Amino acid sequence: MPAFRRIISTFRSLFRKEELDRDLDEELSSYLDLLAEEKIRAGTSPEQARRAARLELGGVEQVKEKVREKRVGATIDMLFQDIRYALRTLRKNAGFTVVAVLILAIGIGATTALFSTINTALLRRLPFQEPDRLVMGLKTFDGELVGPVSRVDYFDYRENSRSFEEFAALTTFTMQFTVTGGRQPELVDAGFVTWNLFRTLGVNPILGRHFLPEEEDPGGGGQILISYGFWQSHFGGDPDAVGSTLNSSVIVGVMPQGFRFLFDADVWGLVDRAGPFDTERDSHSHWVVGRLKSGVTMEQAQSDVDAISRALAEQYPESNAGKALLLTELQSFMVRDVRLSLLLLMGTTVLVLLIACGNVAGLLLARGERRLSEMAMRSALGASRPRLVRQLLTESVILTIAAGLLGITVAYLLQGVILQLLPVGELGMERPVVDSGALVFTLAVSVATGLLVAVVPAVRGASSDPAQQLRSASRASEDVRSSRLRSGLVVLQVALSVALLIGSGLLIRSFAQLSAVDLGFDPENLLTGQMQIQVSDYPTPEERNQFFTSLLEEIEALPGVVSATVINKLPIRSRWQDWSVWPVERPPQSPQEDFSAMARWVPPGYFYTMGIPLTAGRDIAATDVPGSPFVIVLSESVVQRFFQGSDPIGRMVSVADWRTFEVVGVVRDARVNTLRGAPDAAYYMSFAQMAPARAQIAVRTSVEPTTLVGPIEELLRRKDPNVLFAKVSTMASVLDDELVGFRIVILSLVLFSCVALALTAIGLYGVLAYHVSQRLNEFGVRMAMGASNGDLLGMILGRGMLLAGLGLLLGVAAAYPGTLLVQQLLFETQPLDPTAYVGAVGFLGLVAALACFLPAWRATQVNPVEVLRRE
Amino acid sequence: MAAGKADLLRGTLDMLILKTLSLQQMHGLGISRRIEQITGGVFQVQPGSLFPALHRLEQEGWIKGAWGESENNRRAKYYQLTAAGRRRLGEEKRNWAQVVLAITKVMEAT
Repeated sequence: MPAFRRIISTFRSLFRKEELDRDLDEELSSYLDLLAEEKIRAGTSPEQARRAARLELGGVEQVKEKVREKRVGATIDMLFQDIRYALRTLRKNAGFTVVAVLILAIGIGATTALFSTINTALLRRLPFQEPDRLVMGLKTFDGELVGPVSRVDYFDYRENSRSFEEFAALTTFTMQFTVTGGRQPELVDAGFVTWNLFRTLGVNPILGRHFLPEEEDPGGGGQILISYGFWQSHFGGDPDAVGSTLNSSVIVGVMPQGFRFLFDADVWGLVDRAGPFDTERDSHSHWVVGRLKSGVTMEQAQSDVDAISRALAEQYPESNAGKALLLTELQSFMVRDVRLSLLLLMGTTVLVLLIACGNVAGLLLARGERRLSEMAMRSALGASRPRLVRQLLTESVILTIAAGLLGITVAYLLQGVILQLLPVGELGMERPVVDSGALVFTLAVSVATGLLVAVVPAVRGASSDPAQQLRSASRASEDVRSSRLRSGLVVLQVALSVALLIGSGLLIRSFAQLSAVDLGFDPENLLTGQMQIQVSDYPTPEERNQFFTSLLEEIEALPGVVSATVINKLPIRSRWQDWSVWPVERPPQSPQEDFSAMARWVPPGYFYTMGIPLTAGRDIAATDVPGSPFVIVLSESVVQRFFQGSDPIGRMVSVADWRTFEVVGVVRDARVNTLRGAPDAAYYMSFAQMAPARAQIAVRTSVEPTTLVGPIEELLRRKDPNVLFAKVSTMASVLDDELVGFRIVILSLVLFSCVALALTAIGLYGVLAYHVSQRLNEFGVRMAMGASNGDLLGMILGRGMLLAGLGLLLGVAAAYPGTLLVQQLLFETQPLDPTAYVGAVGFLGLVAALACFLPAWRATQVNPVEVLRRE
Repeated sequence: MAAGKADLLRGTLDMLILKTLSLQQMHGLGISRRIEQITGGVFQVQPGSLFPALHRLEQEGWIKGAWGESENNRRAKYYQLTAAGRRRLGEEKRNWAQVVLAITKVMEAT
């Protein structure tokens, strides 16, 4: 049939439906007339003939329905019809509709809120050109992943590989420089990159140009690119910034706003074969990133670099034997730390949605039972079975789409809560929004949910035998099969909830452990900052020491200050710098014996200010200055390692083949490096004997620490306007930042567990309440036969608690393997932590008991006389 | 009724209707009586199958219905074959001949 005719037919059947129906009516009645006439001619009486004709025709309505189903466009027409009918039914059952929509809205809303958070924070495509072609190269030793790459190796890979359009590298750290000459000195973070890094990423400067290849040659350097933020703060956005000099480097370009790659940096300088750092093959301090040529697969590129790795191993066996370069997708490299949390949260939201689906499926099942006679009636009137199933599916999809729309509102609200609890914006991330992506997601979830919750009830509802249903219009007790189905749903819900609760419990315990962890120093009321003086202004160690000593005295004189101190690297705020140490008489015989600890230098009073207890000997003293013997204070771990049993005071230690120190004191271990690690072994030298120009400052206050920022800045302006005082924050907020990622996971998980718990309680309540309402007659009879209130209460409660108990068992069994998966996120908490398990089971049990009690109590309120009379 | 059998019958029914209408235009009851008569009562076309089939054939453009008068001056809808329907009947005849030939061969194979 030509296409246009089909289209015309479709329109004809859609818009001239009534006409077609009338035509069909007439045709059928004429058929009846002709049939009757035939029978009259054959000798039957007119009445008899009519009756016989009608019997022969069968159900007029069924014939009509069959014809209608054959019409072109019938599907669309039926869909409209189904939707109209569904809306009518849902309006008639307003109570059911509202409850179902609310439950689903919570589930869908929570899922959407989290999806958009995850989408913004973690899943968004990298803001680089064709990010799928970007790969990261990581060094491996004997197949084991180790990390950064040697710069010398990098140049060999770059020159010999054939798979990459561009192959670039950057240092794994940023260096801090002081920039003077502006209104005030500024501390800038500088990253070092190969000339082609930005071209590899496909990001162009908004002003000026990229680096040029020849600028990378030794002696060609001295060019820098600056960040948009630095351009604004330092040059006020003046286009003339390009071409001007900064610490004797020429600015050649400005990168676009928001550009960031692996680290925050204000300026980018060039690395080359000769320097500035790590010129050895066995020192590894560069990330490498490449852009695959189009059409080149990951595998091809990998075998390309493998060949180069083998050649290098042959040529430089001491440094390169067993060393290789592993390529991974850039995106997966960048989310490596959050992947587990991400998966956990995704899993959690899906569980919550499933629990919500369980509730609504339960509701639909219960309602389906009351609608069995309606279904039977429609089926008798000519509706085919697929038609009935389609009708029920339409109804539930309408329900879930309505829920989805409401869910978007819920998502907005939830996101507000999430954002208030989490300093997401402060991390430099984009603020998550419920955007079009999230809306499409919501719609998809809504439709999927609608189909999911309706399949079982729809198939059950449509499969019943109409004749039997019509006969037994009123039924005294619950249908056994559907009651089992609903009980099964509740058991599953309880199981899912308890598993979620246990997971949350474990993470909350970890978080509590982590927050309450003994840092080894006191983080409260501690203001910290970065400080640097210009070496040209203070050329001698004595002048520098004099500056810091007098500065600390002046700060201590400020009102609200208890004490003040400086150190090269403050705990948690700055990391590493671990150097080897050994007793002079016992140098390490092999690399395995080598022991390193965090190297720090402090003035007198540091331990007092930080609250680190001195356990033996003395503190660094004011007399430990250049010229006097070098002294050192060890932390307990170092002492245990070298001087077990004997008195360490007065012994001599060597630090990194550099100098020997006399041990004068011992302090308790503290968490010097990271929060999650164990307390670190550390040793403390005399600040005055090191005489640095740069330090981190810590001020112990008796008032809110931030109120002292102003007075300290004021004091510095008077003392020396060229001194840099930057990156000021309280120790409490430094610790907070460390916990941020973890807190996101925990709060989301707790939020979702609460939603899951609420939904489960509603589900449990719903099943029991329905159960009670179906058995009211029976209860009436039981009471008439002498059953006491207690008996009934116990019976219903028992049934509810049996369901809950089964669910709890199932959930606990499922939780254990689940918690092993998240073990990595736990901190000083065992996956089988009894508190978490007992707490979760107890809490859920309590909520379940409450949810069961209400229907049970209602059962006891039955008036037997009334019930029996109604019967 | 098994699905395969229903399909076969449906296909056959279309062909039988087209063949019946190729001789003269007819109303629904006429078609069903003619098929019954010719097949000696082997096929009894029930209204539940007849009307959907007529409807479908009309939508495909193979037959065309118009209201007219019956022999006894009753209003009835008469169907007649269109040019497209005549072509279709030709195709169906050829297909059917092939099927019959093929099945016969199978059944007579020894």
